[in-house]
Amino acid sequence: MSSTSVQVDPDSGVVRRTRSGGRPSYRWSAKGFVAPGVFIVAGLLYLPFLWTTFLSFTRYRGLGSPEWIGLDNYVAMFSDPALLTSLRNTAFWVVGTIAVPVGIGLLIAVLTYNMRFGAWFRLPFLIPYAISGVAVGVIWSFILQSGGALSQAMDTFGLPGADSRWLLDAPLNTFVMIGAAAWQASGVNALLFVIGLQSIPKEPVEAARVDGASGWTMFRHILWPMLRPLTTVVVGLSIVASLKTFDVVWVMTQGGPGRSSETLAITMYRETFVQSEYGLGGAVSVFLTVVTLTASIAYLRRQLSERKAL
Amino acid sequence: MVNKVIRPVFLSVLGLLWLVPVYLLIANASKLPGDYSSAEVWKPAFGGALLDNMRDVWERADLGSTVMSTLIYSVTGPLVGVLIGASVGFAIVALRLRHGFWWFVFIFGGTVFPLQMLLMPLFVGYAETGLYDTRIGLILVYTVISVPFSAFVMRNFFTGIAHHVFEAAVVDGASTWRIFWRIYLPMSKSAMVAVFILQATFIWNDLLLGLTLSQSNDVRPVMTALTALQSTYGGSAMPVVLAGGLLVSIPTVVLFLATQRIFSRGLALGQF
Amino acid sequence: MKHTRMLAIAGLAGALALSACGGGDDGNGSSDDGGPGTNGTVADSGTLKFYTDKAAWEPQFDQVSAASEDQIGFDLDFTGYSDADTYSAFIKQSFRTAEKPTLFTWHTGDALAELVDEGMVASTGDLWAEAIANGDVPEDLQQYYTYNGDQYCVPLNVAYWVLYYNKHVFADHGLEPPQTWDDLMHIAETLADEGIPAFYQTNILFSFVWFQTLLAGSDPDLYEALGTGEASYTDPGVVAVMEQWGDMIEAGYFSDPGLADDPQVLLNNGDLAMLNFGTFFTGSLNALDMTSGEDYDFFVIPNVNPDLPQTSLIVETGPLCAAEEADDRAEAVAYMDWWLGADAQTEWANARGDVSFNPNAEIRDERLADLGEEANAGDIRLIERYFEATPQPVLTAALDGFGAFVTNPGDPMPILENIQAEADAYWANQ
Repeated sequence: MSSTSVQVDPDSGVVRRTRSGGRPSYRWSAKGFVAPGVFIVAGLLYLPFLWTTFLSFTRYRGLGSPEWIGLDNYVAMFSDPALLTSLRNTAFWVVGTIAVPVGIGLLIAVLTYNMRFGAWFRLPFLIPYAISGVAVGVIWSFILQSGGALSQAMDTFGLPGADSRWLLDAPLNTFVMIGAAAWQASGVNALLFVIGLQSIPKEPVEAARVDGASGWTMFRHILWPMLRPLTTVVVGLSIVASLKTFDVVWVMTQGGPGRSSETLAITMYRETFVQSEYGLGGAVSVFLTVVTLTASIAYLRRQLSERKAL
Repeated sequence: MVNKVIRPVFLSVLGLLWLVPVYLLIANASKLPGDYSSAEVWKPAFGGALLDNMRDVWERADLGSTVMSTLIYSVTGPLVGVLIGASVGFAIVALRLRHGFWWFVFIFGGTVFPLQMLLMPLFVGYAETGLYDTRIGLILVYTVISVPFSAFVMRNFFTGIAHHVFEAAVVDGASTWRIFWRIYLPMSKSAMVAVFILQATFIWNDLLLGLTLSQSNDVRPVMTALTALQSTYGGSAMPVVLAGGLLVSIPTVVLFLATQRIFSRGLALGQF
Repeated sequence: MKHTRMLAIAGLAGALALSACGGGDDGNGSSDDGGPGTNGTVADSGTLKFYTDKAAWEPQFDQVSAASEDQIGFDLDFTGYSDADTYSAFIKQSFRTAEKPTLFTWHTGDALAELVDEGMVASTGDLWAEAIANGDVPEDLQQYYTYNGDQYCVPLNVAYWVLYYNKHVFADHGLEPPQTWDDLMHIAETLADEGIPAFYQTNILFSFVWFQTLLAGSDPDLYEALGTGEASYTDPGVVAVMEQWGDMIEAGYFSDPGLADDPQVLLNNGDLAMLNFGTFFTGSLNALDMTSGEDYDFFVIPNVNPDLPQTSLIVETGPLCAAEEADDRAEAVAYMDWWLGADAQTEWANARGDVSFNPNAEIRDERLADLGEEANAGDIRLIERYFEATPQPVLTAALDGFGAFVTNPGDPMPILENIQAEADAYWANQ
């Protein structure tokens, strides 16, 4: 890379040429801008996790000193048949979370972002996120318990399946909990999509309209590609959140009955906090983290680098 | 135009469906503790039981002493977090930090770690450094928790700002700090507000970090007091728990209501 | 002060690293003096840090704290956890730090043994000797607090597990409290015919309750042998109990195991007739404005096997402990001494609406007072609750197994084999 500092030229050609090397004049200030974030994240999130990673190679019950046992925890984790259920349920959560709340969120955003009073039409979907977890957990337990609010309503309308034991039978319990989670998450996704839609510059949209584009064509060829930065955020966060699904399940079934609705995060919590097997719980969390990180890097790399080429 | 009718009708129906659980919440929070029955969850309730239940929670759980500190956490945490996140995004997108993608992944990694596993090491670290049971300690952890999400949203939002905006500012002789503060941040107001309200709500509702990293009444956040009502060993009656949940949700709901205007501003696209 | 705090934050990252490593080599590092009290003297008033996972009991603890301040000059600085699992992790970790829990509640059995093994809790042998001598604590209770010949902690509470019943439901169906197991089954049958589930049952956490009742009432020796690893979960006696349980579920004696409603609400509404719970449950019922002896009552569950010489009564006791290395350990021990006495126990039991372990305490609720006397009489055999009597890994497997069984009763063998596999693994390591 040429060390002569390329002074900025409004001409975009110069910009493209200097990109790969970075402009020497901004190297230090770029580092300065990124530093605070890097330091606090490293100190308060990475260091604690390193400790957990260390524990995963030990036997430790919370008292005394951890005893080094190498890979035993990992062997124990992979030889537990319940891990399979856990993996299967987690996979349901990932697919369900990307399909349902992301889909609904996108639909709501596209329908409301340029509509009169759009923000107010969007509000009902945001309220669930604003309501505290305590109340949400209780209410959904009422709705989904056998003979609960959902069953009563279905019964009133004569719908079949009113006597389903929503939270007791697997995999039905996982599916209905995905529904409950979607109720809370859709509005958030809609909000993020709206921000993306609002940042789309007017010109290309106007140009397309002049060309006669509207409805689906407009969405597919103009809005969708330009919405990409925020779609990446929504999908990326959904992947991470769904792989780490914990709260909803813990509140409603604690992974039961008989471990049938357990997710990886529940397995991790159970080993660590219920069983006090910090090492085994650590191993599950390292595994969960590796899976999540791999999935997000694979997704983000493709998304973020493809755009670079635009 | 058919679209003009169908769209609001469709959104209203879906919206009402979304509010059904909220109805159940309010209806049952308004019942006297002795009147509640799961066979009658749909039955509406009128009368002043809601306020009585809320007062009951307020006194029993001593919410008054925790609300102030929770407010401080929910404002400062995400505020500092979104600024730090934005500056990360700015470094990567506008200043084109070398290996920007990997620095981004590093920060994003913060959200990947399961929070539950960080609690115990954080507690030990906090106890050793004197941050345990201090407001500053909680502000710090809530800030950090907000950073990865903020960085993600802001980084991607900045990619939508054409780079010639940056070039032009440089030509005008603006410093990078000034470009960040005076140009990029004001242009990203809606994204920043969105990140702020989402994170503020998350922090307001946080239980785990508050529970683990604090102990005294004037430091502990409100959720730690509220969940004490729900317990196998003699918790409160269901309508009281629901009323409590509703009561502490008021500030966050108001926050969402108050900020909606920002997300409908600056629209010039019209129907398509 | 401010200055040091800023420094502390600046150094946080480094310190986290250090503490992480420090924990690696010796667990509970630096105890500079560890002596009781400051400079060896015991203060005669002050505030003691107190932690518990029974956060809902804060008002009652506050009441007792006010009484102790009057009587001995010490009050409690209450910190409540609502989640028992996070709580126990927190307490264990806190021993490594300067934030040691002066006083804290815990669980007997395995959980306490762990703390004793690591030398984390103050010994209370003298308190026990004195309290037993002057009749403040029944000697029977001592076994749950004795490890390697010495005592640790004192009882925070005791609760006896009985069947609560809704008096109105009983009256409506012309039912009387049973004298024998057959009576009880007859009641359940009558109610089932009317479409009312006789008993409450859940698949979360308290899934063990009926297993405990049936086994302790059929073969208490076998029950106790399970807890010590001397008997197997695949023993024919255990299998028979599971099958009996399954038959009762099939016969419609139990409520749906997935109900999210609070059990006290279900009992109050008459959605079910009886609830198998510890006496701490009285407080929950009173909170719903139900009146003891009028709206509800309880009875000791008759033995399944009528030939047993004594009636099995499940007892649960939770300890109040002091950290061995807390600076104010001596004060904490003095507080526990007060706690065992009749004054404290009268205050506490009536605040909670529960029985007391101390026979000298004056219990206002007559039914509870009677039960307390009955429990200490000769024709009752006190049996430790399954939750405390079972080692943690076995317990977790059992709770899951029972949870699955009450949801879908069927062949109990796979479930029992699964629990036994955990038990084999556990006892092999002891």
